[in-house]
Amino acid sequence: MSEQDSAKDALSRRDFLKLLGAAGVALTFTPFVPWGKFMPNPSNASLDKAQVILPDGTQANVKTFPKNHSEVITYPKTGDTVLDQEAFKKWQFIRLPEELGGDKDDVTAFRAYSMVCLHLWCLWKYWPQEGRKRGECPCHGSMYNPLNGKAFAGPASLQASPSNVLATLYFEADNDGNLWIQPAVWNVNENGVVGYGRFLKT
Amino acid sequence: MVVSLKRRNGLVDFFYWIWDGLERTVFIGTKFSFPARFVSPFGFLGMLTFVIFIILGISGALLMFYYQPILDRAWDSVEKINDTVPYGFMIRNIHYHASNAMVLLAVLHMYYQYFSGRYKIRNEIIWVTGVVLGTVTILEAFTGYDIIFSERAELAISIAASLTNSMPVVGPTIRDAMFGSGFADFILRFYTMHVFLLPIVMLGLMAVHMPRFLVFDVPMVMAISGAIFLTGGVFPVDLGSKFEPTVPPGITVPEWYLTGIYAFLRTQYDKFVTGVLWPGIFIVAIAMTPFIDRYKKFSWKDRPLVTAFGITGITQVMVTTYWGFYITPDITKPLVARLVIDPIFFYLIMLLLVPIGFGFSYMMILLAKESERKAKLAAAKGPHKSAPINLSGKWINWLIIGLLAFQVYLNIAAYNAALSGMKNFALFLTGLILMVFAGLFHLYRHGLNEAKKVPVAPQAESESPKPLDSKEPSASLPS
Repeated sequence: MSEQDSAKDALSRRDFLKLLGAAGVALTFTPFVPWGKFMPNPSNASLDKAQVILPDGTQANVKTFPKNHSEVITYPKTGDTVLDQEAFKKWQFIRLPEELGGDKDDVTAFRAYSMVCLHLWCLWKYWPQEGRKRGECPCHGSMYNPLNGKAFAGPASLQASPSNVLATLYFEADNDGNLWIQPAVWNVNENGVVGYGRFLKT
Repeated sequence: MVVSLKRRNGLVDFFYWIWDGLERTVFIGTKFSFPARFVSPFGFLGMLTFVIFIILGISGALLMFYYQPILDRAWDSVEKINDTVPYGFMIRNIHYHASNAMVLLAVLHMYYQYFSGRYKIRNEIIWVTGVVLGTVTILEAFTGYDIIFSERAELAISIAASLTNSMPVVGPTIRDAMFGSGFADFILRFYTMHVFLLPIVMLGLMAVHMPRFLVFDVPMVMAISGAIFLTGGVFPVDLGSKFEPTVPPGITVPEWYLTGIYAFLRTQYDKFVTGVLWPGIFIVAIAMTPFIDRYKKFSWKDRPLVTAFGITGITQVMVTTYWGFYITPDITKPLVARLVIDPIFFYLIMLLLVPIGFGFSYMMILLAKESERKAKLAAAKGPHKSAPINLSGKWINWLIIGLLAFQVYLNIAAYNAALSGMKNFALFLTGLILMVFAGLFHLYRHGLNEAKKVPVAPQAESESPKPLDSKEPSASLPS
């Protein structure tokens, strides 16, 4: 067993063990190095109680907002016009049709669901036409129940819970009937997670 | 006035000097050849793809002067390029159609190599890097049409982000890293990837992918570039509508190289399986072909199983690509009924295409063998008879002059069209100029070959006279 042999055969046993040791030490520290912490962007919006501001700039009011109608609202607002164009901050603000309880002049007549479809994140919207009265996604045809945000048709309805119920916002009305958004908690058991889903409370 | 008829003047000498100097560079291992006659472009589709990559690089760099990768400005800046910036319309159309041409040529290149078995003879590395390169090309094209941020682009980004998110274990992490906090980040990141990261990756892969023998055929390069211009003139790409988060988009389909995946997604089956796993398996299967194919021969005729798999794959790609585009125009039907593809029907057709593909390959192989046999018989009977087009030198000269005059006319017409604001027509004519140049170059090359031929000697003489410049070195140019 001369030196020549060990030079030809690429790795001696000692070298191999050394290599193994080095690799082991490196791997030991791997979990403590924040690999890629640079890449994800920390979101910067604060979740406060906020007015329901309609696209025309006014605050939504239970007395004036038409029945069986929807608008797009932004929550949480950052004040930056570019960031506020984010689809993940867009919600369908719906006043239910009368037969579903939309004739009451209080918060129970209103719903807001994340516009990001749970299937592949296209933007759905509410269709008030007779016979539709539901949310429909233009991409692959998922349909949402305006009462609770649950998908009842299309690919989103086939996804396992919680990924078949849209994230939602809860409201409260002041004495003038102006609507406010309650601070949201992005959690599948509370408001839900945009693009992921929510557990329906029974 | 003294006119030299020798083709080797100082300028040409200078080019030869550069050419010879290249032997000291990394290109020493690479052999360029400039075909002196028409050769089938199938052999050098890869080179054509690379040329289009260069066209894309140049046109893309020009677009970068005006494009703004900001959420609410991206679409407006593209609109400005398209409508206001002089020649912006041309540059944008060239960039768009060149991207489609690059994907198409890359796919054709791959299938030609597949059926001719070039991935054998220790070309596995080239094959695998080629498959990766093709995938990155599609990613590059995908990020490109996303950063316009039209309605369709927004849907495409959403679907991509959601598919990334759907991957088990690593999905959400990759989503966070690649897409940031939302669309404001997406657009900037996609821009970074589109103009820098992915092209760098592609260049790196190309360095590995490059074979030692390269063919650069000027007429074919010109014809392909001309075809891109022509297509841009006839089918100028539209802007789409600007994405407004308050106005959810209507039904849109992705670009043609992704409608196959879109068709699978429309079957409503689990999004990870249909959107990530199936395409992944397809790509990995293609990449693994050299290690599965154990046939000793190269020709598709001698590798029935591999050919059959290839044909089946192509038919499935074609069917799904078309199916992804097709949405019933009947708007009285509900949205779900229009969009959703019945998975049982769909997968049954996919399965049905397997025996059809195998049967078709079997038939093609039989037919090819039969025609080979006939060709052998015919060859045994006598020399192959064909009717060549014989043009005398005089007529070749006149044709070249005619084409030159046509070029001049086309140039004036294109300039005139551009001046009068007929952008498509100007682009179309420019494409035609390149096409005519391809023809001109080919004719010139043909004329040179004809001139080099030893003229038929008169019968009586014992010694045939040599042509005048027989001593002229043809250097590395093969004749």
